[in-house]
Amino acid sequence: MTEAAIVLPVDEAGDAPRRHRARLSGVAAFSLFWIVAVAIACFAVPVLLGMNPDTTDVAHAYAAPNARHVLGTDGLGRDELARLLAGGRITLSVGAIAALVAMLIGTLYGAVSGYYGGWFDTLMMRIVDVFLSIPTLFLLLFLAAMFHGNLLTLMIVIGVTSWLGPARLVRGEVLTLKERLYVEAARSIGANDRRIIFGHVVPNAAGTIITTTTFMIASAMLAETALSYLGIGVRAPMPSWGNLLTNAQSDIFAGAWWLILPPGFAILISVCAFNFLGDWLRELGERSMAGS
Amino acid sequence: MTSFIVRRLLLAVPTLIGVTIITFVLIHIAPGGPALALAGEKATPAQILALTHQLGLDKPWLEQYALWLGALLHGDLGFSYLKQQPVLALVAQRLPQTMLLMGFALVVSVLIAVPLGVYQAYRRNTVFDRTASVAVFVAWSMPTFWFGTLLIAVFAVTLRWFPVGGLQTIDTTAFDWPSRIAHLVLPAATLAIVSMAGWSRYIRGSMVDQLREDYTRTAVAKGLHTRTVLFRHTLRNALIPFITLLGGTLPALFGGAIITEQIFAYPGMGQLYWQSAVNRDYTTLLGMTVITAVLVILGNLLADVLYGVVDPRVRYD
Repeated sequence: MTEAAIVLPVDEAGDAPRRHRARLSGVAAFSLFWIVAVAIACFAVPVLLGMNPDTTDVAHAYAAPNARHVLGTDGLGRDELARLLAGGRITLSVGAIAALVAMLIGTLYGAVSGYYGGWFDTLMMRIVDVFLSIPTLFLLLFLAAMFHGNLLTLMIVIGVTSWLGPARLVRGEVLTLKERLYVEAARSIGANDRRIIFGHVVPNAAGTIITTTTFMIASAMLAETALSYLGIGVRAPMPSWGNLLTNAQSDIFAGAWWLILPPGFAILISVCAFNFLGDWLRELGERSMAGS
Repeated sequence: MTSFIVRRLLLAVPTLIGVTIITFVLIHIAPGGPALALAGEKATPAQILALTHQLGLDKPWLEQYALWLGALLHGDLGFSYLKQQPVLALVAQRLPQTMLLMGFALVVSVLIAVPLGVYQAYRRNTVFDRTASVAVFVAWSMPTFWFGTLLIAVFAVTLRWFPVGGLQTIDTTAFDWPSRIAHLVLPAATLAIVSMAGWSRYIRGSMVDQLREDYTRTAVAKGLHTRTVLFRHTLRNALIPFITLLGGTLPALFGGAIITEQIFAYPGMGQLYWQSAVNRDYTTLLGMTVITAVLVILGNLLADVLYGVVDPRVRYD
C-alpha cells in the first residue's frame, strides 16, 4: 500500500472553502426544497383534491399500489397516499409546535439566567443540571403516559422535555452579548431590563435560536414516532407518520409490504432535511462570525 | 484532585434531592393514582380507597416524601406493589443486563466511529468524506424502532442469523455466553448506529482542528509515517474533548435503551421503566430515576477526572 501524504489544512481560509460551501448549499437547497414541498403536499394537496384519509373500502383492503390507489390501501381499505399526507400534517405540526414550545421556554430561561448572571444564574443552571440528570426519554415517556390525551398535550409534553439544550445555548450566547456596547448604550438611555433582554439581546441571538429550532423540529418529529410506536403518541384513528410506520410493521405479516416504505422514508428524509438545514445554518453563522 | 472529587460529590447531593423532588411532584400531579392501576378496572371505589390507605397514598405528599427519603437514606428504595418485590431487587436483576447491552453498544460504536472519523478528516472533502457525512446524517435521523425492526426482518426472520429478541435461549437455564452474545448483537447494533453517527461527526471535526496545529505540521515535516502522525499524534489530542462527550451521552444511552429493549423484548432497565410508567408503579419509577441519576452524575464526574488525567494542562480548582 502506498501511503498518501497528509494534506494539511494550513491556511484556514484556503481549506477548499468554495467547494465545501457549494456542497453544503447543494444539500441545504435540497433540504429546503423538500421541506417546502412536503409541507405543501401535506397541507394543501389533500384539500385541493378532496382526499379523505378515513374513507374505508373493505372490498379493496390491502390493495397493492395501483392506478386508483397510488400507494395502495391498508387493512381497512383506506388510501395510503391520503393517510400519508394527513399523517404528515400531524407529524409536521407536532414537530413545529413542540419545537416552538421548547424554544420559547429555553430562550426565556436562558436569556434571563445569562442576563442577570451571578448567584441567580448559578441557581438557574443548577436546576438545569438536575433535569439533565434524568434521561430525557424517562421524563418524556412518563409525562406522555400520564397525560395521554389529545394532540395538544402531546405537543406540550414533547416541548417541555426538550428545553434544556436550547436554554443552555441561549444562556451562553447571552453571556457574551450582554457585554456589547449597544447593551450599554440602551441602558444609558434608560431602557429597563425587559426591554434590553427582549429588544436587544435576544434578537441578536436570533442566529443560534433559529439554528436550534431547526434541530428541535427534527428531534420532536422523532419523539412523535417513538411515542406513537409505544402507543402513547398520536391516537389510533388519527394518522401520523409514527402511527403509520408502527401499524405497517404488523401489516407486513399480511403481506402488505408497500405500507412500510412510504412513512419510513417520509420520516427519514424529512428529519434528515431539518438536520441538514440546521447544520448548514450553523456553518453559515460560524462563517459570518469568522468573517466579521 | 481529591478536593475536586469531594466537592463534586457534595454538589451531587442537592442535585439528587432535586431529582427526587421533581419525580415526586410529577407523580403526584399525574391523573389516576397507582391504587387504581393496581386494583384494576373492576375494583369498587371502597376497594380503591382501602388500597390507597394501605399504600399510604392518602397521607400529605410532603409526609410521603419525607418517609420515602428517610427510607432511601437507609438504603431502602421501597417496595413495588405491582411486582411484589423490593425495588432494589428489581433493579439489581435489570441493571447488569442493561449495562451489558450498553457496554457492548458503546464498544461497537467507538470501534466504528473513531476510524471513520479519522479517515474522513484525513481524506476530507473527498467523495468518500461527503458520502460518509451524508450516510452518517441519515443514520442519525433514523427512528430507532424502524431501524430495529428492519434488522429483525432481515437478520432474524429472513436470514435467521440472530434471535428475534429476549435475553438468551429459553431452554438454557445456566448462563450461556454464546447465546447471550447472539441475543445482544441486534439490539446493540440498533443502539450503536445512532451514537456512532453523532460521534464520528464529532471526531472528524476534532481531527480537522488538530491537523491544523503546529505539532502536526512538525510531525509531518519530520517525515513520520502518515499512520504515526494520525494515530500517535493527532488522534490522541482529538480524543480529549471526546471524553466529556462520552460522559454526557450516558443519560441518552439509558433513555435510548427503552425503545430498543422494547423492540427486542430485552429484560433491562428500559423495559422495567416502561412497564412501571404504564402501570403507575410509582415506587419503582422513583427508585429507578434516582439510581439512573446517580449513574449519570458519577459518569460525568468520571469524565471530568479522566479529562484531567489525559490532559495535564487541565487544572482542578
